[in-house]
Amino acid sequence: MIYKVFLTIWMAVILVAAFLYTEAATGFPGETSRILFFHVPQAWVATLSFLLSMIASCVYLARRNVKADDLALSAAELGFLFCVLATVTGSIFAKASWGSFWNWDPRETSIVILLMIYGAYFALRSAVADPEKKRVFAGVYAILAFLTVPFLVFVIPRITASLHPEDTMNPANPGMDPKTLKVFLGSLLAYTALFVWMLRLRMRILRIEGNRIEGFRD
Amino acid sequence: MFAVTTLIAVSFSIGSFRIAEAEKPFLYAVLLWIILVFSALSGLSRSFVKEEEAGTMDVLRLSARPRAVFLGKLFFNLTLLGALELIIVPLFILVMKYKIEFPGFFAAMLISAGLGLGAGTTIVAAMIAQASARGALFSALSFPLLLPLMITAIKGCERAAVGIDTAGWPEVRIAIAYVVIMVVMSLFLFPLIWEE
Amino acid sequence: MYSLKLSKVRKYYSRTLLFDGISFELYPGEVLAISGWNGSGKSTLLRIIAGLVQPSAGQVEMFFRDEPIQRESRRRFLGMVAPALSLYEELTALENMEFFCRVRGVSYDRGNCLNIMGRVGLTEHAHKICRNYSSGMKQRLKLVQALLHKPPLLLLDEPGCNLDTKGMKIVENIVSDQRQFGITVIASNEKREVDYANRVINLSERSHSNLAA
Repeated sequence: MIYKVFLTIWMAVILVAAFLYTEAATGFPGETSRILFFHVPQAWVATLSFLLSMIASCVYLARRNVKADDLALSAAELGFLFCVLATVTGSIFAKASWGSFWNWDPRETSIVILLMIYGAYFALRSAVADPEKKRVFAGVYAILAFLTVPFLVFVIPRITASLHPEDTMNPANPGMDPKTLKVFLGSLLAYTALFVWMLRLRMRILRIEGNRIEGFRD
Repeated sequence: MFAVTTLIAVSFSIGSFRIAEAEKPFLYAVLLWIILVFSALSGLSRSFVKEEEAGTMDVLRLSARPRAVFLGKLFFNLTLLGALELIIVPLFILVMKYKIEFPGFFAAMLISAGLGLGAGTTIVAAMIAQASARGALFSALSFPLLLPLMITAIKGCERAAVGIDTAGWPEVRIAIAYVVIMVVMSLFLFPLIWEE
Repeated sequence: MYSLKLSKVRKYYSRTLLFDGISFELYPGEVLAISGWNGSGKSTLLRIIAGLVQPSAGQVEMFFRDEPIQRESRRRFLGMVAPALSLYEELTALENMEFFCRVRGVSYDRGNCLNIMGRVGLTEHAHKICRNYSSGMKQRLKLVQALLHKPPLLLLDEPGCNLDTKGMKIVENIVSDQRQFGITVIASNEKREVDYANRVINLSERSHSNLAA
């Protein structure tokens, strides 16, 4: 409960700070650079949940612990949600900044592949009726999909040069405005905390659903 | 059959004169791999689906070692892919007047990416054979896994056709790495999905 | 000395509970019959014992002289006949048997195969392609396939299906032979087949009592 209240206040503060406290970066049309505070954390959470889902899948395959599979599924579902958010916000930025909603920039390409993987993962889960089989198949597929990631990293940047702004918006860059950096890190933390909260909620729902079926015999 | 039909449709509608000379190496590589990948996706799942439909899958699970089954199916699929490439690629080169500057590299690319196609899809075929909506599911599951391989193969075939910067055959090496990783991981994961 | 032990086996299928709390131990010489209405999970329970399906909870264990047998090697010790299990229709009966011997890693002994085929009355059909077999002949051949490696655990799912009275008699003989050295589990509603057993589990009655409790 406290966690929820605190998270709400924090996100509100970040939201206000993102628009009022920081100044828009130069070199971008109008106020568009403020996307940094939303789009990048979303993409970060999408990546994080993909990684988490893959690790949970490995744990499930090794231990056959239903909770691990619940985590893998919840992380995949939230990852898909944040993936869609990042795609939509990025696309709006692309229109404002590069003139078109879609350019097949390397990162746009990789996020499309990620969306396809998530789609395939959910399709597989819904196509297998036996619950134990479903969990194992989903875990195996998550690992296989993850294996292609190093190849994508290796292969895609060679096709087209990235349009993504690297210098002014890269937090690792020392040239970043300190105010911007502060709010950006705050937002990153806020989004991660939001993700954890939603993840726990989703896992609880899955567990209750599971218990309800178990309770069938009583 | 599917492959030949597509090839005829493509060559009929595009012909070898529509595409400007400078664009040919790249666009031809794309067309060739679209034909190859999609005809592979239409056929490769049969290896396991056939067992499931005939009701022999479970008898096999009761009697055979899982890795032996996987390797058998993998070699079957690879043979199928080899035959597919042997028919389609010469036809494609003939019909589209595809000029290749560096045939050795081109052939190595076809072989290594063909191996990759088989390595990436055999374990998926084993999964979808035990699921519902098989045909659609096979393509949906395989395509994301094959995408990096497909991009590599297209790039490699283009490079071989143009004939510049071919030193070290970089795309062939990526494809071989893909084959090795997919086969090793499949050998590792296959018993899990087989014994369920 | 083999034994089979199930403890608190439970199975869901698409969110419905098939059965729960199935526990028993079987020793060589014993014949267990599993009966119950259609859809009560007889076949699924047999498939769980065979290792083809994972239970949602509980354990299936096999022991040899009190040493547990690993799941991966269990297939060597069991033979199974079920309506959903088929043989390769493109091959002849004998080719099928050769194939299954080879994948099992058992040396292929033509004489032994013909001998077992003689027991189920298929000797003169040994070189015919299985596609042309009648359903009763296919069922007999499935019995041969399950007996090839002399399994100490024999799982029979409706062994009498498609069989005539002669065929039923063959099943009876097989079960009584198996009783000499191994365990038999039969899933069936046929009174005749249930009567071979010295123990009976009725899945339908179990699930009713579970619901009432």
